[in-house]
Amino acid sequence: MDADFASSPVSVLATLQRPPAGVWRQAWHRFRRNRAGMIGLVLVTLVVLTAIIGPFVAPYDPNDNAAMLRGASNAAPSARNWLGTDRNGYDVLSRTIYGAPTALAVGLGAMLIASLIGVLVGGVAGYVGGFTDEALMRGAEFFMVVPVFVVILAVVRLFGIIVVGTPLERIPNFNLMTIILLLGLFSWPQIARMTRAEFLRLRHAEFVEAARCIGTTPREILFRHILPNALPPLIVLVALGIGGAILAEAMVSFLGFGDPKSISWGQILFFNYQSLKVAPWACLAPGTAIFVTVLGFNLLADGLTDAFNPRVRA
Amino acid sequence: MGALRFLLRRLAFSAALILGVSFILFALINAIGNPIQILLSETPGVSEEMIATLSRYYGLDGNFIDRYGAWLWSIVHFDFGTSIIYNQPVGELLEVYGLETLKLQLPAILLSTLIATAAGVIAAMRQHGWADFSIVSSAMLGHSLPGFLVGIVLILIFSYWLGVLPSYGAYSTRNLMMGSMVIDGLWHMVLPVAMLTVFNTATLTLLMRSSLVDVLRQDYITAAWASGLPARRVVLHHALRNAFIPQLTYLGTLFGLMLGTAPVTETVFTWPGLGALYITAIHQLDYPVIMGVTMVITVMLVVATLLTDIAYVVIDPRIRLG
Repeated sequence: MDADFASSPVSVLATLQRPPAGVWRQAWHRFRRNRAGMIGLVLVTLVVLTAIIGPFVAPYDPNDNAAMLRGASNAAPSARNWLGTDRNGYDVLSRTIYGAPTALAVGLGAMLIASLIGVLVGGVAGYVGGFTDEALMRGAEFFMVVPVFVVILAVVRLFGIIVVGTPLERIPNFNLMTIILLLGLFSWPQIARMTRAEFLRLRHAEFVEAARCIGTTPREILFRHILPNALPPLIVLVALGIGGAILAEAMVSFLGFGDPKSISWGQILFFNYQSLKVAPWACLAPGTAIFVTVLGFNLLADGLTDAFNPRVRA
Repeated sequence: MGALRFLLRRLAFSAALILGVSFILFALINAIGNPIQILLSETPGVSEEMIATLSRYYGLDGNFIDRYGAWLWSIVHFDFGTSIIYNQPVGELLEVYGLETLKLQLPAILLSTLIATAAGVIAAMRQHGWADFSIVSSAMLGHSLPGFLVGIVLILIFSYWLGVLPSYGAYSTRNLMMGSMVIDGLWHMVLPVAMLTVFNTATLTLLMRSSLVDVLRQDYITAAWASGLPARRVVLHHALRNAFIPQLTYLGTLFGLMLGTAPVTETVFTWPGLGALYITAIHQLDYPVIMGVTMVITVMLVVATLLTDIAYVVIDPRIRLG
């Protein structure tokens, strides 16, 4: 009987010895079954691919406005210009494609800044606690109640005047970088709050106590034990934040406070909104691009929420 | 005891927040130097003397701290100063333009709460049915739709292609609709309010559905079903009240979001509201107006947050004050 068991082809021992599927692999298995999440992943991949290979396949140079010289600005979509031309004679499709890298730079850049500040502030608040915690969280609340968008508009404009005549003025895309920095500076509080909550939850978790018992240094506990376990909910927030930052930049640019030297979807809308009646394609194309990108990141975040906490939703 | 302390703490925090925002903005505006000088530097025939006189008139002389103090002192007395561009008291401008903004946002909030509640109830009651699926998926789509894209599409369809609704302004410049100011004004409100309603309804519906689904799973609802109450009574009377709480708190956030993005809404529809006033002021460095609009929006936001906090505690006795 015993011998029989040991020699069976699918050995129980072998199964037990195989390491269990990790958190990430399990999450991916759940994610794959989530329809909304998968659609989001497809849309985001589409945008990323457009940003990477788009500039090589775009039919025209984004600054080529030869159509205007031919008197073909505001031309309807045709075989020559698939999505038509705008009021300045630019090819709408090419400019929309070139808007993708800008959008991703804005989304990723802003969330990178927000994550750095948020994880640092939230981590310190959650781990140290006491007065530090109280002070840091009040600070976070300050940034959450401020009318962010209104303040960003004013700061972008004023900053544009302040830098005139300083060396900063010569940095390419300085204006866009200001917008990215501001968006990052105003989106860290959610990340800080989540990090803090996770750190509070994990601070007294059994595996952390165990690590402390065997003499692991606080630094190692923080970075090797607590932070990786706090990541899943943070990733969801970052995915949502990327979409939010892209939308915010689009609105800032749409109002005419964007970077005139960079090509962004909001800028295209700003330049063409006046001629909406004669050339609706020049507004609809970048508008749809914003929608698809934001939708992609929102759906992705939705799928990730399900994948990381299978119990939250029925 | 607890309630009073909670209220005092919230009030102190709100005051600190308003002070902080005003100080940062004031400092930034000051960092660019004298707006009068910047605005008039390119105009020929303007002497140094004229700039100095104008600066004194608008209270731009003196050092930074004194001027911030003076500005704060007059704000406390509801004096927002004089607009550099319009040469009118900022307080009057804020009143006129602010009312136009509220004219769009209050109906939109009301409408979207009604629609979202109805849609949320239908979706939650037919959970996983086709009605639920279509409501949730359209709400997910609407949730990601940028407001201005909705506005652009509405203008394209209803103003340009069908030609039935006006695409810009709050009133007709020549012939009033049916000769009545009221009807004409309402007619102009249709598209902007529709855009804001689409923007709000999607998120509110998702929230309503998920909180109703949560509530419907609770024991007291099972007890209500078990006691033989009709479905209408269980859902509308017992469940809805509790499901409404998260939605109510979100209304404050939503109101803030709408106010904050008023510049976009009002640019899309060329609406003479606070947002449009703000955009012009920023472009023309009309600093008393910039400060005034920011203060009004910040104060409204803070008050909305405060009210929802209080409402939360009043409505839901389970909440402990912290």
